[in-house]
Amino acid sequence: MELKRYLKKHFKFEEFRPGQEETIESVLKGKHTISMLPTGTGKSLCYQLPGYLVDGPVLIVSPLLSLMQDQVEQMMAMGEKRVIALNSFLSPQQKAKALEELERFRFIFISPEMLGIESVLNRIRKVSVSLFVVDEAHCISQWGYDFRPDYLKLGEFREKLGQPLTLALTATASKEVRKDIAEKLHLGDWNEVVYSVDRPAISLALEFASTFQDKLDRTVELVKYLKGPGIIYFSSKKVAEQTAVHMREKGIKNAMAYHGGLDSESRVLIQQQFINGQLDVVCATSAFGMGINKENVRYVIHFHMPMQIESYLQEIGRAARDGRDSIAILIYSPGDEQLAYQLAEGELPDQYQIERLFAFIIDNQIVYKDLADRAEELSIICGFTEIQWRIVEDYLSNLEALDYKIDKQSLLQLIENRLEVKNTKIKKMLGWVHTKECKRKVILEMFGEELQERPRNCCISCGIDIDHYKETEPSSEQSLAAVDWKQELASILLMRERI
Amino acid sequence: MGITYLETVILSILKRINGERTIYSLFHLLQGKRSSQTIQDAHLYKITPYFHTYPSVTREGLEKMINRLQHRGLVEEIADTKVILTGKGEATLEQKLSEYRLPDYLNGWKYHQVTDSFWERLTLLIQVSSNLINHERSFIPVRNKRETLTWVKQYIKQQNEDRCKLAERLYGELTSALDNEKTKPELVVIRLTGYRKIGLTTMQAAEWIGLEPAHYHFEFLNCLHAMFDKVLENSHAYPLLNGLIKKAERNVPLTISTDKTYKLMQKGYTLEEIAAVRNLKQSTIEDHVVEIALSIKEFNIDHYVPLNKRESILQAAQRNSAKKLKQIKEQVTDASYFEIRLVLAKYGDVEWS
Repeated sequence: MELKRYLKKHFKFEEFRPGQEETIESVLKGKHTISMLPTGTGKSLCYQLPGYLVDGPVLIVSPLLSLMQDQVEQMMAMGEKRVIALNSFLSPQQKAKALEELERFRFIFISPEMLGIESVLNRIRKVSVSLFVVDEAHCISQWGYDFRPDYLKLGEFREKLGQPLTLALTATASKEVRKDIAEKLHLGDWNEVVYSVDRPAISLALEFASTFQDKLDRTVELVKYLKGPGIIYFSSKKVAEQTAVHMREKGIKNAMAYHGGLDSESRVLIQQQFINGQLDVVCATSAFGMGINKENVRYVIHFHMPMQIESYLQEIGRAARDGRDSIAILIYSPGDEQLAYQLAEGELPDQYQIERLFAFIIDNQIVYKDLADRAEELSIICGFTEIQWRIVEDYLSNLEALDYKIDKQSLLQLIENRLEVKNTKIKKMLGWVHTKECKRKVILEMFGEELQERPRNCCISCGIDIDHYKETEPSSEQSLAAVDWKQELASILLMRERI
Repeated sequence: MGITYLETVILSILKRINGERTIYSLFHLLQGKRSSQTIQDAHLYKITPYFHTYPSVTREGLEKMINRLQHRGLVEEIADTKVILTGKGEATLEQKLSEYRLPDYLNGWKYHQVTDSFWERLTLLIQVSSNLINHERSFIPVRNKRETLTWVKQYIKQQNEDRCKLAERLYGELTSALDNEKTKPELVVIRLTGYRKIGLTTMQAAEWIGLEPAHYHFEFLNCLHAMFDKVLENSHAYPLLNGLIKKAERNVPLTISTDKTYKLMQKGYTLEEIAAVRNLKQSTIEDHVVEIALSIKEFNIDHYVPLNKRESILQAAQRNSAKKLKQIKEQVTDASYFEIRLVLAKYGDVEWS
């Protein structure tokens, strides 16, 4: 009862969402907690609420800069001023100022790199962190679908901070991954709050298209047919962009593309237009959706097959946050998996690049700890992408000994293992696409769960009545034609009664 | 023959340069490279309005475009990476210019350092004001640069005014400052975000108005620059907007290195001394002086070029419409290249108009 009062006071909500209360209770009892809650259930509340009830700041480690920025902005938008993000967006002056006034903040978001800086870590130690939160905690596990080497050091940092009370949050982590998380964070003893990955409100559909053109046509058809708003996910920026243009040409006016290649103004505007209901559909890459709180997304279409079931779940999870029936449709064409394999390989450095790197390291007698300073030079010489470089640098800079030959072999081995993990994930995803069994049941089994109850319109194998997801209301034609600019300005800046 | 708006812009600049500079000078101009050479050329060929007006241009993009123009017989290569307009090119350009005007108010050189920050501040200020008058405290700002956020917050505090009054004043100033028959203020207004109304992106705005993106971009800048002209001419009538235009430390900014040279010059050091102190070549310091002459109106060059020599240079320059330093040098044998460049930099715009 008590907790609900605080929920109302600080967040104006009447009820907790599944798993939130259990997680918060566990944390407040002083137990290290690993909490697995499905996307869209408000994981961030699990550390925000305790933030108001404990002494000392909450430190939140977050893997993605954009995600961190989104969360900070949302908290500020809710009126929480004592929040800061310590990351590479800050100028040296801003960083210095933020560190100096660190006591001022109740919520401190930080990137793993920043936490790795000794002076920063020492400063944080002085404010005695009350709760150490690891967001997207599956990133710490090699078996997790989005392994990030820089997360591996979190256990060590946690020790240095005096082993503060820890909350690890994730949306998708198998039993194996959860155990790995606890080990890597040196938790010793911990509580688990695990909620089903199942989202019964989302119907799981799958369609086959024999050619790219068929797929494109079908996508347009679906967008016109289905009740929106919706998101279409692509693995390629270019195809996302082209499809959005194509849809506008086909009369779907409020369709836009969103991907990392856009300038920051456009990204913010498109995201906000979507949330504000000005767009019916967004053609997006996986960059879209993290940190977006939109309740009424009615469908998610996958134009390309995701690289693992975990990202599929994460992405379809953007639908039905209001709990109302929604549909996820993956459109598969034979050979789609090839793109996934290519992408997986492209994220990792290849043997040739590693050979080249070591030839250069040996020629110039470079010690590993100096690698970071030569990032640009080495990336050009070996042709590393940013992700590739990060993998190489993270691995080598953590090595103590310096035996080039052995180190090269072990790095190559690591890369091979990682590729193996990725390829296995793709095969699993592909297996799910082809299975004739209940799609929902198969997903749950992958996470060690059992399907308790089959919802109506469960999945393509159990049968879906697609009419249920049809747009029934006539589309409200928001004609933008011929605005009078002065009137437009007045509607923005003058109060209603004065226009 | 149909050419795009961007190609029209490129052709009109190429016409000015007239094969005396490589096509890459155009790349540096549009990108706004702050090098002495680019800045001098911009003044010499009177193409300063385009300085830093299309920073997204790439080398490859420009090369491809020039290749296309060449294939269609609109320009011809007269030397390696130097092109001039053909007769057909001149005719096409003229025809296009009768269809639409190039932006009248565009002034990249004057405004390149304030345009972006003004736009960031304005859009945020409008969004905040609009939400405030509608009593909405929680919204996601359309700007995420901390610098802009703090600036606008501070600015609103400074005004020390009732939120409704502030929004009303902003409305009043904007309607007046944007009003201009020769521009299209709606191009700016559709991009604005207010309470529960998110503005359009550049792409959407261009599509909505039915212009190719580059055309929209230049018209948009034209609108802003026309507004800047108005606001700066009559700043007391537009206190709010005037305050949004970033006050640079100096009216026309210098490149960092040139600024150092300028400070030493003001302390009375000779150019030789400065070169020695800064461990730079004499010619580099001379480049700096030329840039200073271009950027700072009140800079006096008498000290560097005697009056009579200045006259001879100017006269020679007038006889040679092609502003080739070499030709001038042939006619004023006792002048150095530095002196010629300096005189052209100082008087170029006036004497050749």
